[in-house]
Amino acid sequence: MKKDQFIWIAASAAGLAAGGAAILAAVLSGSVSVILLAIVWLSIALTGGMLLHHIHQLKALERVFRVGSQMKIPFEIVPGSVLGDIANAANCLLDETHQKIRQMQDENRDLMLQMQLLRRRKSGIEAVLNSIQDGVLVTDDKDRVLLANPAAQNLLGFEFNKDNACLIQDAVNWPELVQLIVKSRQSKIPHVRHELSRQKDGRPMTFDSVLSCVEDDVGNVLQIVTVLHDITREKEISQMKNDFVSHVSHELKTPLASINAYAEMLVDGEAQDAETMRQFCSVIQGQAQRLSRLIEDILNISRIESGLVKVSRQNHSMALVIQDAVDMIVSYAQEKNISVEAPAPILYDQVYIDRDMISQVIINLLSNAVKYTPSGGQIAIRSEINELDGTITVTVTDTGVGIPEKDLPYVFDKFYRVEANNKYAKGTGLGLNLVKQIVESVHGGSVFASSTPGKGSTFGFILPLAKAAAAQMVS
Amino acid sequence: MEKKKALIVDDEFHIVQVVAIKLRNNGFDVATAENGSQAYDLACQTKPDIIVTDYQMPIMNGLELIEKLRQNPQTAAIPVIMLTARGFSIEDRLQEQLRVSACLSKPFSPREVLGIIEEVLKGQNVAV
Repeated sequence: MKKDQFIWIAASAAGLAAGGAAILAAVLSGSVSVILLAIVWLSIALTGGMLLHHIHQLKALERVFRVGSQMKIPFEIVPGSVLGDIANAANCLLDETHQKIRQMQDENRDLMLQMQLLRRRKSGIEAVLNSIQDGVLVTDDKDRVLLANPAAQNLLGFEFNKDNACLIQDAVNWPELVQLIVKSRQSKIPHVRHELSRQKDGRPMTFDSVLSCVEDDVGNVLQIVTVLHDITREKEISQMKNDFVSHVSHELKTPLASINAYAEMLVDGEAQDAETMRQFCSVIQGQAQRLSRLIEDILNISRIESGLVKVSRQNHSMALVIQDAVDMIVSYAQEKNISVEAPAPILYDQVYIDRDMISQVIINLLSNAVKYTPSGGQIAIRSEINELDGTITVTVTDTGVGIPEKDLPYVFDKFYRVEANNKYAKGTGLGLNLVKQIVESVHGGSVFASSTPGKGSTFGFILPLAKAAAAQMVS
Repeated sequence: MEKKKALIVDDEFHIVQVVAIKLRNNGFDVATAENGSQAYDLACQTKPDIIVTDYQMPIMNGLELIEKLRQNPQTAAIPVIMLTARGFSIEDRLQEQLRVSACLSKPFSPREVLGIIEEVLKGQNVAV
């Protein structure tokens, strides 16, 4: 028996018992009024019992709605009864509620999953933005900074705080960029590309900037995304290439001009005697050789860089290689009244080298020293063995015009020319690069340079000694 | 008849020589210099009738030489022919501003140089 049935029965039984006792008493006493009273009492008892029962059921229903969907109706539904109808309606409502709750739980699970995916995607995008070298800046429709990746913060010199968005004009000291962002927001042009320049740490820098306008469905500007790509080095390389073409053009055309001019002189009969004719032919020949050497230098560098050069290595005495190079350059030095001091031979200075290439290296260094040393100066070439490292160091020191400190890191770069020294001598900017390529790429050594403007320079290279080099080859 | 005086300026020895020989063979008195600074000093001393100069030279290049010549009343009127081996020619505006009589690209013909010098000395600017 269920609890509610028990209560109904108990209440009714109590009432009936009381009523019954009253009627019995009335019958026994013969009082009509008492009988009537008793009957009323009985009715009230019965009704009260029913009411108590219904109240209990309502309380049970109330608990179901309050506690939740897992409870069920805790009593039997009597068809046709008032409470039965309420119970039916409650059941329907509960079913619907159960369904809606399940639906919401499913939707909630989907949302949680999507949130997880979004968080992962956001982390991925943040990782990308934090690691790229391009500066990325996002501003809103009021020009407040919403996002600035580390590259942008470093480039623009400010610290981004997402909890305290500030105006781009206050954050960044670059009027050209700020103006561009504001104009982009106002014009709503989807993509704009500009080349921007600025000075940073005293160095001119150039940027390729792309500004993208993000709009909502009705065309209102939400954000401006600015990406700054540093093209300073590309510009420098492009400029160096242009300068190289210009220099090489000059270097190639000059011997060609001589060849052409002297050939024409011969044709026009301007060589009035045999000796003059011989001299003209000698010039033509010399200039043709000069042209050939220049072209060879350009090709050699190209071959070394692409790994296609033929190398023929054997053990040679560095002292002998140096002496041969000095012999080739000494007449050039004498024309300028410059003395060249070669080192005394030393023992155990064997190096495993391509002799022609290393000769070229020493000739290039000596030739530069003569070129940039005024008349009456001195050049000294030395070699020193380091037994601990198993290396030999060769240096060429001059009393020339020297090189400014800012240029020293670049002197071995291809096409690089020290601007301050252009007035003293010309060149293609290839000689030292060829030295570097031969020493480092082909022979595994290293090059170095030091200088004092107005006093002179020292250029040198370090190579492994033959034993060390051979041991390296074996291993 | 007095010989015309020419000053040839180029840091390339052989270029200077070939032009000098051509002009001497055709009746000119020729002086030579290997850079703009030397050329300016010589121009002040010898007052040549014409100067033929290279563009790219150490110490003082051809343009700098012409600018200096034009600033000095004693040398301002000397006609100048520029030889250039650079990848581009001197801007027309600059040529006009510095009153460069003619520009010739290397490799040039000594015959052509002589022809242009003679025309310039006759008083005509030559477009090349």
